[in-house]
Amino acid sequence: MSFFGLGRPQPTSAEKIAAVENELKMMADMHNRMTRVCSAKCVDKTYRESDLAKGEAVCLDRCSAKFFDVHAKIFDQIQKETTERMAAAGGGGGGGGGFGM
Amino acid sequence: LTAAENRELETRMQKRQLKEFMSVIGNLVDTCFNSCINDFTSKALSGTETGCITRCVQKSMTTQARMAERFAEQNQAMAAEMQRKAQQ
Repeated sequence: MSFFGLGRPQPTSAEKIAAVENELKMMADMHNRMTRVCSAKCVDKTYRESDLAKGEAVCLDRCSAKFFDVHAKIFDQIQKETTERMAAAGGGGGGGGGFGM
Repeated sequence: LTAAENRELETRMQKRQLKEFMSVIGNLVDTCFNSCINDFTSKALSGTETGCITRCVQKSMTTQARMAERFAEQNQAMAAEMQRKAQQ
């Protein structure tokens, strides 16, 4: 995935490395969170067996799919809401600027 | 990325992986301890507790492996979806 389009100044070496490193860091973080959350929801905490039961395995698979879906949905919603709220604040700020003075 | 940049990245990744490994162990200890160890009438680990810890580690590692597979699949699907949206 390339972040750098035409017409912008070329990124420095350090910036490029940092960009890749950051993306990998985000992915690793997401992976860890998903594993932790899904283990908590799906895996029997009494550890009576050393193998994953079929039910647990299926639960983990479904959990990972839902985790990604939730992540995407929340991401989209936050973007949308932020835009809407900033627009509302921008319109309200002009009117509210006359307060108190 | 140039060859030199790749090498730099690789060095950083190795450092990060080591850190990651240590934190995996830390999490495992916390999780398995919390689930398995609840009896403090003795300071020695009982057979039950030892068995629980062993099973906990095995299960956690199996879970990690499975989650890694699912993550790679989901990540690919998400990247494809983002590309599709970008092209719209």
